[in-house]
Amino acid sequence: MMRAGLRRGDGRRLVPRWLDPHGRHLGTWAFVANRLTGLGLVVYLYLHLVILSTLLRGPEAWDGLVELFRRPVFLAFDVLLIVGLAFHGFNGLRVALVGSGLLVDRRKGLLVAAGILVGLVTLVAAVRIVG
Amino acid sequence: MSSPRTVLLKVFRYGPDDAAPRYDQFRVPAGPRTTVLDALLAIRRRQDPSLTVRHSCLHGSCGTCGMRVNGREVLACVTRLDGLGDPVVVEPLAGAAVAGDLVVDMEHVYRRLEPVGRPLVRASERAGKNDTKADPGPLLEDLERFEDCIECGLCLSACPVAGDPRFLGPAALAAAERVLEEPRGTDGRAVLGLVDDAHGAWRCHLAFECSAVCPAGVDPGGAIMRLRRRVLADRLPRLVGRYHQEVPS
Amino acid sequence: MATRTEEDFTEATRWRRRPRPTFAWVAQVVSGVLLLVLLTAHMVAQHFVVDGGLRTYADVVAWIRNPVVFAVEALLLVCVTWHGIAGVHAVLLDLGLRGRAERIVARVLLDLAVATILYGLWLLYMLAFRG
Repeated sequence: MMRAGLRRGDGRRLVPRWLDPHGRHLGTWAFVANRLTGLGLVVYLYLHLVILSTLLRGPEAWDGLVELFRRPVFLAFDVLLIVGLAFHGFNGLRVALVGSGLLVDRRKGLLVAAGILVGLVTLVAAVRIVG
Repeated sequence: MSSPRTVLLKVFRYGPDDAAPRYDQFRVPAGPRTTVLDALLAIRRRQDPSLTVRHSCLHGSCGTCGMRVNGREVLACVTRLDGLGDPVVVEPLAGAAVAGDLVVDMEHVYRRLEPVGRPLVRASERAGKNDTKADPGPLLEDLERFEDCIECGLCLSACPVAGDPRFLGPAALAAAERVLEEPRGTDGRAVLGLVDDAHGAWRCHLAFECSAVCPAGVDPGGAIMRLRRRVLADRLPRLVGRYHQEVPS
Repeated sequence: MATRTEEDFTEATRWRRRPRPTFAWVAQVVSGVLLLVLLTAHMVAQHFVVDGGLRTYADVVAWIRNPVVFAVEALLLVCVTWHGIAGVHAVLLDLGLRGRAERIVARVLLDLAVATILYGLWLLYMLAFRG
């Protein structure tokens, strides 16, 4: 049977339902951002483990890597990582509270508070890392 | 005198004999109070009588004309074209089998509501006793208050998860919360067992899209969260000792 | 109508044999809250206390030999792996997996989580005791 929802031409769905942006509200954006940061962080986890494995190859290999990671492009990536981490963490805290049925009527305020905290952490991290 | 304002509508078309859907374009006159449903009915009358549309009350209380306008779930009879831009994209509800053009099979809504008990009358709030403006008149003893949900299906269309037929969905979960809050003789434990499930209340990802689009003030998202609190309160003391679900008696 | 309902909701009843979804939610919340604390500590201690933000090989080994640090890093590893893999599971569930595919995915993810934790613990051990 034919089902509608972000389909084109031959009727095939373009993206999974949760990634369909049309007509969506703030709550959905927060959910999508939480998913994307979460998936990104899982990828980073494994990247991080691979990088840490260099430690097994001894001081020369590791210290060389450390010099590489001091380059600006990697520092910029570090700031991005912290933003992603901060968002997932603070928004995740909101999800933990509201999703357990606590402060349900204050959910908008919690989202705003999470946003403010993410902004603050980003600022501190950017200054500390790049400065 | 200037020519009347017109708006271009891009309308989803699909019939059972079609291989694939398409979007037909119709230019319709649009005054400041013209609704999407007005425009669709005008298209039927003057341009294409084969356009399939369903409606009933024309004032946003029956829930029959639910559809997506520019991607957002609305009741077409109370949604004005003014402010929606040009062109306006009109599509049927998402995640439901399309019976024809803008009409979908609503079975996916009803079969989810049935297992939770489908509360209809709110016994805890009766107009007439405390409400000085409501007058039951000489024939009625009391004015009954119905539950808010009009079973329009907008929430199920808007929900990013509800495409999965196993998920109970916002309407049914909100109904379950009402059943647990006000049992009215139904078996609360059975309902609790039904919603405490990977495809029940725990499948919700807190997008709250359902609450954003609900035209009747049900706040299904909030109801799901209160439901989860009930489940936690009920199961948590036992969670430490036992991991496996008991069969509800 | 009744047959259709049972057909669609019988899958739900099969979960009776498995740990409840309530447990999965609580585990995600607990690991998430723990991560907020542990990751902040990890970030601050690893990158914001040291000059230049990155430890040399000798610094890493000296740091990881501290039993408190070792324990915290091990706990962090377990929490982040559990939380991340459970999150990936939720995303995959939304693809509409059923029956056998669903069980296979769950099994693969569990194996991946165990392998990740074991590898990370081994890495910690090698650095602390054989570095």
